[in-house]
Amino acid sequence: MASNQPSEASAQASAATRPKVDRENDPRNPRTRLETFLDDGSVELITKYDASGMLAAKGTVRGTPVVVFASDATIQGGAMGLDGCKVVVAAYEQALADGVPIIGLWHSGGARLAEGVVSLHAVGEVFAIMTRASGKIPQISVVIGAAAGGAAYGPALTDIVVLGPDGRIFVTGPDVVRSVTGENVDALRLGGPEPHGRRSGVVHVVTETTEEAYGRGRQLATLLASQGELKVDAVQDRDLAATFPESAKRAYDVHPLVENVLDDLDDAIELHPRWAPNIVTTLGRFGGRTVGIIANNPMRLGGCLDSPSAEKAARFVRMCDAFGVPLIVLVDVPGYLPGVGQEWDGVVRRGAKLLHAFAEATVPRVTLVTRKTYGGAYIAMNSRSLGATKVFAWPSAEVAVMGHVAAVRILHRRRLAEVDEAERTHVENELAEEHARLAGGIPRAVEIGVIDQVVEPDSTRTALAQAIADAPQRRGDHGNIPL
Amino acid sequence: MPVTQPQEIASDLVANVAQIHVTVGQQVEAGEEVALLESMKMEIPVVAELPGTVTDVRVHPGDVVQEGDVLVVLA
Repeated sequence: MASNQPSEASAQASAATRPKVDRENDPRNPRTRLETFLDDGSVELITKYDASGMLAAKGTVRGTPVVVFASDATIQGGAMGLDGCKVVVAAYEQALADGVPIIGLWHSGGARLAEGVVSLHAVGEVFAIMTRASGKIPQISVVIGAAAGGAAYGPALTDIVVLGPDGRIFVTGPDVVRSVTGENVDALRLGGPEPHGRRSGVVHVVTETTEEAYGRGRQLATLLASQGELKVDAVQDRDLAATFPESAKRAYDVHPLVENVLDDLDDAIELHPRWAPNIVTTLGRFGGRTVGIIANNPMRLGGCLDSPSAEKAARFVRMCDAFGVPLIVLVDVPGYLPGVGQEWDGVVRRGAKLLHAFAEATVPRVTLVTRKTYGGAYIAMNSRSLGATKVFAWPSAEVAVMGHVAAVRILHRRRLAEVDEAERTHVENELAEEHARLAGGIPRAVEIGVIDQVVEPDSTRTALAQAIADAPQRRGDHGNIPL
Repeated sequence: MPVTQPQEIASDLVANVAQIHVTVGQQVEAGEEVALLESMKMEIPVVAELPGTVTDVRVHPGDVVQEGDVLVVLA
């Protein structure tokens, strides 16, 4: 693609100022990178170590069999031509045949310019096989250098993207951006960890070091491919309410709850921690088995659902469903975020993705309402109506169309307008109490079947475990389009 | 963000300012609560991401703030 022109040019420029290192000792050597990534002694090359620009191997990570391919950044900045793309396609065919995860170690300026449309066609074939593999085998991208143009969309088509400190992802590099739009920006600000970790949602995991990026890639491959079995007996109860503030109105950070629900954080990995932080999506172990946790985070935007958080959660739900990872949904949600910006940004269209994702999912998916669940967001957070495996609620939880005070302000607007201002709060509260009694709260929610069971916080873990264990262990038959 | 640059602490949603906990000249630690907002039927604490000294307080309790409005500036 034309986009690789500036990055090749800058690669050459920096190469001129760098002392020459022979290919074997170059840290960018793909064989070295494959050996670093895979378990010691497990590397078995499946393509030739040549000048194609890509190299692929079978091997294991923590004992789990995987296929890995790596860009060869020692040649033309890792640019992808016909031969390099054939390596990636061969790696995918191997991984699909073995039914194992595939990991790409990316460091590439995109399609090889010199090969013209041939390279574009070849890169397109890589995209096609990635899409065919989508939802069948876990695909993980570890971006350790520049990944521009075609090399940006490669990772983007995979399930999870990990970005190391030197990773840069963009369709067109700083030079082209400058010449076309006049915007002065460097590669870091254009496509580094900050923009992709916080703003764009392109990257799921940002790491401080390249070694850590490899480590996260290995961890994700193991979580998705070696999911383990849920041992209900191994699940101990803990007081999950211990980390909650006393006041029900008070916002709090949901991370300690997520940590408490999971066995521990050793094997847990939060995806998109800084993008759409009002919802938390974390892979981890529960009773020894891989699960996906989705939790509203009241500390950010009050825990409201909005366009980015709905998309983030929807993609996570679909990924977990495709790979048979059960879901635990921790609900404390005041509603969808109101606002002109939200409506114009398509919160209706983008929020619908979460409804679709949950309604479609066939993995065990268990919901726990901790404090409240209101309105449209109540439905979206894996409600009974969307086919939840089981819906639990803590005794003090509220299930409603909206908060009681807000409800009476609408239902009794006229009557309240007639009351003296000094008396209004008092009357509002009285009406709200009456409304709460009539609406019925949790007992009514249980009666009509939208809450299956009320559980105490200190017996919730075992209840969640039993519900997951009792459900049919299915997985969705669909791809994982990057929503 | 280097600590030497001013740190603008902004609201991430439309809200009523319930409390401001800091005054100009005060030192705050990373993670310290600088203000309390009310929105979406909830009290939402606003915390400093980095330590610093308060150089400006731009809002008062009772104000309505929009998304992105700066509440407190640290240096």
